[in-house]
Amino acid sequence: MTGAAASSTRRSSSLVRVSNVLATVIIVVALLAAAYALVTALRDRPMGTGHLVALGVLEALLVAQAVVGFVKLSGDGGPDSPATFVGYLLGVLLIPAAGAGWGLLERTRWGPGVIVVAALAVAVMIVRLDQLWSGTVA
Amino acid sequence: MPEPEGIRTGGPTGAEVGAEAAAEVGGEARAGGDARAGAVDARAGGTSRPGTGSGPGRLLVAVYAIFALAAGARAGVQIATKFSEAPVAYALSAFAAAVYVLATVALARGGRTSLRVAVAACGTELAGVLVVGTLSVADSAAFPDETVWSGYGRGYGFVPLVLPVVGLLWLRRTARQGGGPEAGGGRPVGGGV
Repeated sequence: MTGAAASSTRRSSSLVRVSNVLATVIIVVALLAAAYALVTALRDRPMGTGHLVALGVLEALLVAQAVVGFVKLSGDGGPDSPATFVGYLLGVLLIPAAGAGWGLLERTRWGPGVIVVAALAVAVMIVRLDQLWSGTVA
Repeated sequence: MPEPEGIRTGGPTGAEVGAEAAAEVGGEARAGGDARAGAVDARAGGTSRPGTGSGPGRLLVAVYAIFALAAGARAGVQIATKFSEAPVAYALSAFAAAVYVLATVALARGGRTSLRVAVAACGTELAGVLVVGTLSVADSAAFPDETVWSGYGRGYGFVPLVLPVVGLLWLRRTARQGGGPEAGGGRPVGGGV
């Protein structure tokens, strides 16, 4: 009994560590993507392959985070409002894809401009996710 | 054949967005960029739709879409999990979400009808954020839980307060360019044909 509990605690604490590292990586990648797109927009260039690759990496990381998040939820000590947490976890997946599509339609500097907005939104949502999990903000 | 000068007059005034102002300064030396910008402007003038969803408007639509998603998801969660706790606040959340969705779609589509819908949606938003913001500050008991409009959009970095204003300004500009009723001689030559 105590052994099982201890191993479960150990497992969930290592999961928390993984998801914390993942969240930090996602925020850094999102901010880098935003900065890259901002430079492109300021240079008055349209979107390129580089932006799509950046968004693809971001999307892959977000999928990984969704998986980790659901595993974490199935353990103990979840957030106060799991529904909101799941909403953010899944909702954030839409943003890089939608941003890529919407930005590609615009062959001016405003295309990468859309990517700036999308990437910043992802970064903000990850911060919110962390707050939701740790209960800093209701 | 569209006259680039007449259409382009709207370009530099787009400095409402600070990034563009910076880009204009930085891009002064470029030569190739001008031809491309001219081509885009010509395309915008050549079609009959005012193009609220292209150029800088594309950014606006992106921000609106994020708010439609945020407000919609929030309202969905609130109504699904605890509607009885604060029915008024949660119904308001759903209403706000619907207005954001409407504004996003109308701005993205462009065209005459969409323009009117977008103006109505942005106006409703502005009224909503001011009324709900004031009420939630004055009588917080009536709004026990946050909506996007509570405290003038404080929970969302006051973006809900700024967004409808920017939206209405942008709609006014595109309406002028497209030869709307209040167009002060800004109708592009051959733009409507």
